[in-house]
Amino acid sequence: MLKIEHLKKHYNNFSLNCSLEVHKGCVTGLVGQNGAGKSTTFKAVLGLVSAGSGSITVFGKDLKDFTPEDREDLGVVLADSGFSGYLTVNDIIPVLKNMYRHFDYTFFTEQVKKFHLPLDKKIKEFSTGMKAKLKVIVAVSHNARLLILDEPTAGLDVIARDELLEMLRNFMETDEERSILISSHISSDLETLCDDIYMIDNGQVVLHEDTDVLLGSYALLKVSEEQFNKLDQQFIVCSKKESYGYSCLTNQKQYYIENYPKIAIEKGTVDEVITMMVRGQKS
Amino acid sequence: MKGLLVKDFKLMKGQKNFFLIIAAIAASTAFFSDDTSFFMGFLPFILSMFALSTISYDEFDNGNAFLFTLPISRTGYTIEKYCLALMFGGSAWIFATFLAVISNALKGTADIKEILISSLIILPILIVIQSLMIPFHLKFGGEKGRLALIGVFGIISVIGIAAIKVSEMLGVNIPDIINHISVLSMGVIVAIIVMAAVVILLISIKTSSSIMNHKEF
Repeated sequence: MLKIEHLKKHYNNFSLNCSLEVHKGCVTGLVGQNGAGKSTTFKAVLGLVSAGSGSITVFGKDLKDFTPEDREDLGVVLADSGFSGYLTVNDIIPVLKNMYRHFDYTFFTEQVKKFHLPLDKKIKEFSTGMKAKLKVIVAVSHNARLLILDEPTAGLDVIARDELLEMLRNFMETDEERSILISSHISSDLETLCDDIYMIDNGQVVLHEDTDVLLGSYALLKVSEEQFNKLDQQFIVCSKKESYGYSCLTNQKQYYIENYPKIAIEKGTVDEVITMMVRGQKS
Repeated sequence: MKGLLVKDFKLMKGQKNFFLIIAAIAASTAFFSDDTSFFMGFLPFILSMFALSTISYDEFDNGNAFLFTLPISRTGYTIEKYCLALMFGGSAWIFATFLAVISNALKGTADIKEILISSLIILPILIVIQSLMIPFHLKFGGEKGRLALIGVFGIISVIGIAAIKVSEMLGVNIPDIINHISVLSMGVIVAIIVMAAVVILLISIKTSSSIMNHKEF
């Protein structure tokens, strides 16, 4: 669906070097701190910034050869941009009708009604939640094959987030060929939605793992200095000095449960893995 | 292209009060003043500016980033802005000429031929001004674009004044040359000027398209 190979982009004090792949029928997550390079990656995929080098192929086609017709197969949500705030929902309906051949008017209006979005109010007067919902509704209402979603749940409360994630699940269930590339600061969103997760730090992909593996095999070992010195470091991805000794991230939880029954082992979460990968010392 | 035009019409719909005020000013000048050339120029220029204000609306709140993820090309966006400006400027030009003819016919002041000649002179000026405004708006954005444009007009005026001074010093009499030219058929002159304006317009479209294709959002 989407393949990024050695995408490089240099700014004054930042350089991005990223490779990732989104497979057909999969939801792929991209996580990282603010300024890690997530948005730059999204913008490069969408052709909003030029890639310094490397290649980006979407639906097997080089991005440079992408036509407006090809773009109809993409549904996009950007964190910091959307339809002009001076337009209303009623205004954007004819715009979408004229832009997308497969715009589903009935679905769109149903969703707008379901989420109680006002039809005649200017978008700039919408609440954060309403704006976010509208962006996702627009992205999923024209039969796109690939959704590219940069922070679609940013600033939303739990209920609104859940409703949006439900909309994305329904989008995936309708057609098994569809895919999603999504970034989020809220790791629980990704844990429940994504098939695999890429972690990006300082412009580099530092980890790529299936979500099941991440949640099932990754764990945090909390050990004293003495325990740390005796610990088999073979499956330790990285470690960090703590007041009590060390916390270590492993990708073989079972190995340590069986061989070190006395040490404290915490289930891995995306948040913990991010913190360890960013702040920890690589083994 | 059609989707973009619909978007821009919807954006401009929000400014309909401004549009009504402009129409009222033009109509009152047409019927209460003897000088028809003022609103014949004023109306098309103001409406072209009105159309170009959509560029600022697109930029508002980083809206361009999302806009260019929609199924449009950057060249398509550029051409749409020219179409919109020409559509608004052009219709205002036709409307203003029509209004001038009617008001003069009612008042019986100037003759229609004179009005049509002024109208034909305004058209290439309108095209050239749009050709200058659009690339500046696209390159520097709404606010800075206007400032840059004022600078350019300033430079053009300085060059013009300098050219007149130099020609005076060299003993070339410009009014004489103009009088000599007017011996030629008026139609030919207007045709040449309009063609020159169209060439400038095409160069402007090419430049704007290149500006947009190099922009990052």
